[in-house]
Amino acid sequence: MGFVKVVKNKAYFKRYQVKFIRQQEGKTDYYARKRLMIQDKNKYNTPKYRMIVLVTNRDVICRIAYVCIEGDVTVCATYTHEPPEHGVKGGLTNDAAVYYTGLLQAHRLPNRFGMDKIYEGQVEVTGDEYNVESIDGQPGAFACYLDAGLARTTSGSKVFGALKGAVDGGLSILHSTIQFPGYDSESKEFNVEVHRKHIMGQNVADYMCYVVEED
Amino acid sequence: MFSRPDIFFRPFRKHGMVPLATYMRIYKKGDIVDIKGMGTVQKGMPHKCSHDKTGRVCNVTQHAVGIMVNKQVKGKILAKRTNVCFEHIKHSKSRDSFLTCVNKNDQKKKEAKEKGTWVQLKRQPAPPREAHFVRTNRKESELLEPIPYEYMA
Repeated sequence: MGFVKVVKNKAYFKRYQVKFIRQQEGKTDYYARKRLMIQDKNKYNTPKYRMIVLVTNRDVICRIAYVCIEGDVTVCATYTHEPPEHGVKGGLTNDAAVYYTGLLQAHRLPNRFGMDKIYEGQVEVTGDEYNVESIDGQPGAFACYLDAGLARTTSGSKVFGALKGAVDGGLSILHSTIQFPGYDSESKEFNVEVHRKHIMGQNVADYMCYVVEED
Repeated sequence: MFSRPDIFFRPFRKHGMVPLATYMRIYKKGDIVDIKGMGTVQKGMPHKCSHDKTGRVCNVTQHAVGIMVNKQVKGKILAKRTNVCFEHIKHSKSRDSFLTCVNKNDQKKKEAKEKGTWVQLKRQPAPPREAHFVRTNRKESELLEPIPYEYMA
């Protein structure tokens, strides 16, 4: 081994500029955050709500928050470990659970603002594309934007499961069906049945049956 | 003054992403703002002559504010309008001390009115020091006086 120059010498550290703390910790994507939180200045104090979906190993957290200089304020949060308390049993991080959590979030949130029961959302689960329409003369549907955090937004991702749940529950979130399970990227067609099966947990049930048969 | 090439340079070790608080601040018409150009954001940069100036917000758009700034042109000072993106702007504290003073005075006036007393509201220049004890450490104090004036031819 010849003489190798030390890269991290004193001069390096003197000139090194650290990244933001949350970026160093790997918790925040500032590129996305900046674009999610900036509010037009001529809208002054109007908060820009974002629905944050965080998938952990054992839980999925849906939060609706808005940005504040002192720190983000969470308006409403739901967790997948809540449905079991209400009697809905099953795996906590599968598509069905996540959809249910999104749905719960969408029903809990208008309560906070006193706009309960104005927007019922989609009553039957069809898996089809659904966008809430604001009713004239009533407060508009609650609008927020999906914040996937650091999750990779591939099709069939659980983040979109929560999104679908929230949208079906009556929140107004900009989205398209491209990333839902059931979308065929080759033929550019959205198969509603496949999506519905995922929401109902049919894919898990089918696999269980298959596994039981095998044995 | 404003022909330095480094006028819009970012300070040492403050390059890259702009802290997001800059984007959260709210500006209203009539606010007093400092203009400080920032090299990171190339859109809506202030002209170098309005850098380091303070002005009044007269218009607010999606990403920028319109500011009335005083610019000295030869013999006169003109109030000019510039449109600057809000990354290059921050709230000026020049007005803050005045406003807190006004609030404090209003408070004092209210309290004085209730009690029926009169409060000194005007700002006083710093008065001479009051009489106070000084530690001498057992030493004799020496009196120093200026010599009375004598005209020396």
